[in-house]
Amino acid sequence: MIKVDHLSKSFGSVEVLKDVSVEINKGEVISIIGPSGTGKSTFLRCLNLLEVPTGGTICIDGKNVLEKKADLSLVRQRMNMVFQSFNLFTHLSVIENLTLGPIKLRRMERAVAEEKAMSLLRLVGLAEKAHAFPGELSGGQKQRVAIARCMAMEPEIILFDEPTSALDPTMVSEVLSVIRRLAREGMTMAIVTHEMDFAKDVSNRVLYMDEGIIYEEGSPSQIFENPLKEKTRAFIHRIRSIRHRLISPDYDLYAINAEVLFFCEKQIISRPTRNSLLLLLEEVLQLYTPYLSSAEVELTVAYSEKSGTIEIICECTNEDAIPLAENAGEDNFGLAIIRNLAERIDFQRIAGKSCLTVEMKKF
Amino acid sequence: MEIQAVEEKNVLVVRISGRLDAVTAPEYESKVASLVAGAARVVVDFQELEYVSSAGLRALLMAAKPLKAAGGQMRFANVNGSVKEVFHITGFTSIFPIDASLAESVAAFS
Repeated sequence: MIKVDHLSKSFGSVEVLKDVSVEINKGEVISIIGPSGTGKSTFLRCLNLLEVPTGGTICIDGKNVLEKKADLSLVRQRMNMVFQSFNLFTHLSVIENLTLGPIKLRRMERAVAEEKAMSLLRLVGLAEKAHAFPGELSGGQKQRVAIARCMAMEPEIILFDEPTSALDPTMVSEVLSVIRRLAREGMTMAIVTHEMDFAKDVSNRVLYMDEGIIYEEGSPSQIFENPLKEKTRAFIHRIRSIRHRLISPDYDLYAINAEVLFFCEKQIISRPTRNSLLLLLEEVLQLYTPYLSSAEVELTVAYSEKSGTIEIICECTNEDAIPLAENAGEDNFGLAIIRNLAERIDFQRIAGKSCLTVEMKKF
Repeated sequence: MEIQAVEEKNVLVVRISGRLDAVTAPEYESKVASLVAGAARVVVDFQELEYVSSAGLRALLMAAKPLKAAGGQMRFANVNGSVKEVFHITGFTSIFPIDASLAESVAAFS
């Protein structure tokens, strides 16, 4: 249905979309997720030609809509958009908002357009507000009107640009339930959203956008439960982290402690957990001290806001570093402390490096 | 970390405060080793110690070694909170006699 190839968009020297390629098939519900400022909305606006892409092609049923002779208004009728801030005409009543497009652009008879508008308002639960003005409606009601107005143009695909971001939490569910209903009825949709639970259960496919590209895509279960790439994982689990590079056995433990404490304060991690984290961290770093005269260690302390788990990750440039080996004749106090404080310990060798991940027990 | 030593009823009492970690362990080891040279009865008071790591435990062991070799004894007093927890985790509680208070440690020598 829609095939996007190597789409790019720059604003001056800022390259927002670098190279986006994706196909959207009829009946698909695609959620587009990712951190703010990674081009999700720009991507939707390019699809609908509200922004002119800098490069690449967008083909609808095999026709490149970026060609000069393409009918812009027809493209927008086939691919209509629902905005974050509703964009209703405030001087027109609800029903006039719904009938304006069909009458002016599609040359529909007023009576036919109004009948259709009423049936759409019933669909979104707002038939009784047909003659109200947008100023008399709540945010959730305005957005439902905006969805009905979009449907009135009988689009083949609806693009939703953060449809619930401007709403009070109490009004989010009424809008999402309308979008869910459209999904059940087979409407093709691309939805930019920060509502992760919604994206998980409404979509067939999820695109995770980052760095101006589709960084990872897959089924909702893959993206939300088993993301393959690190940035996707960090986003899904709402992971906050700090990094520190250790380049000699004389690393400054107190400077690292201070960084970790500052990080813990920012993440509102409890005092007993902070103290245990500092102990676990010191013991893990001690394991690497013998290797640090000839190798480097990239230390990451990561906290998942979603699950509350804390991980210490050490990536060592010495592939042969075996930090967890018990040494005969030595006390192994450090290992005993680590094993006691850790929920999970994972050690891997990847691409010439060794990687130790210690997940801390919750207290 | 701070270390103070006082004599009490023919017992050398070593009070440590702050953190006994990889950074302060060498200082503890050398200071306490010189303090206990010539002493036979030593109590380390942990009342003011907030933190101990494996490096600290090792320093506690090393500082006690010459004393033990000379036939002396080291007891620990006031091991509480997170320090006590680390002692338990590592089995350190079975290495030194540990008393609930300084008075008990001093009394244990007489």
